[in-house]
Amino acid sequence: MNLERYNYFTNDYRAYEFYSEGPKGSIRKLVIFTKVPDTEPPIFNLAFGDAHPITGKLNDAVISNNEDRDIVLATVANTIATFCDHYGNHYIYAEGSTPSRTRLYQMGIAALWNDISTDFDVYGLKDNEWQAFKPYSLNYEAFLVKRK
Amino acid sequence: MPATVKHTEKGFGPAIESSQVKSHANDPFVIKKVEKARETLKKVGLPDLTKK
Repeated sequence: MNLERYNYFTNDYRAYEFYSEGPKGSIRKLVIFTKVPDTEPPIFNLAFGDAHPITGKLNDAVISNNEDRDIVLATVANTIATFCDHYGNHYIYAEGSTPSRTRLYQMGIAALWNDISTDFDVYGLKDNEWQAFKPYSLNYEAFLVKRK
Repeated sequence: MPATVKHTEKGFGPAIESSQVKSHANDPFVIKKVEKARETLKKVGLPDLTKK
């Protein structure tokens, strides 16, 4: 993967932050990996969104529209690779907080598919079944990612 | 901490260590997402790789 990305910061290699830069200014983004209880092999949830400007807590209800979607997504992909470097090539589960947010994630993955698919296996959840991710096909309900 | 100027690079690269990055593991939103993931994964499991 040779995509433009933001520099990103971490303390424990499970929580990452970076700054989206665009017409809306500088927006602090967070990516948090958390082990999902009762999963074997271990599966980690990826939570992604903006840091609340006052509380600093993660929230993905905001659509920031900072005209840098591809750079943001490439940065998130980088955090997955870095997480895997430190904790192993585990399955990573991701789902938007709403169907439209999940659809946004799917559009982002599809836009960068040629690059993403060289480094990651991606599955989409449809009707309670995981399928190999196909860009611009079904509307998936969640995603599962594993580094190759 | 990160500056507000646009700093990008290309390709995979290491994270920059910063003690100012907090865990966020206990943020209510994160807890809710993990619980939702647990429920879904309990129901659907992992992909059947033989179908790939």
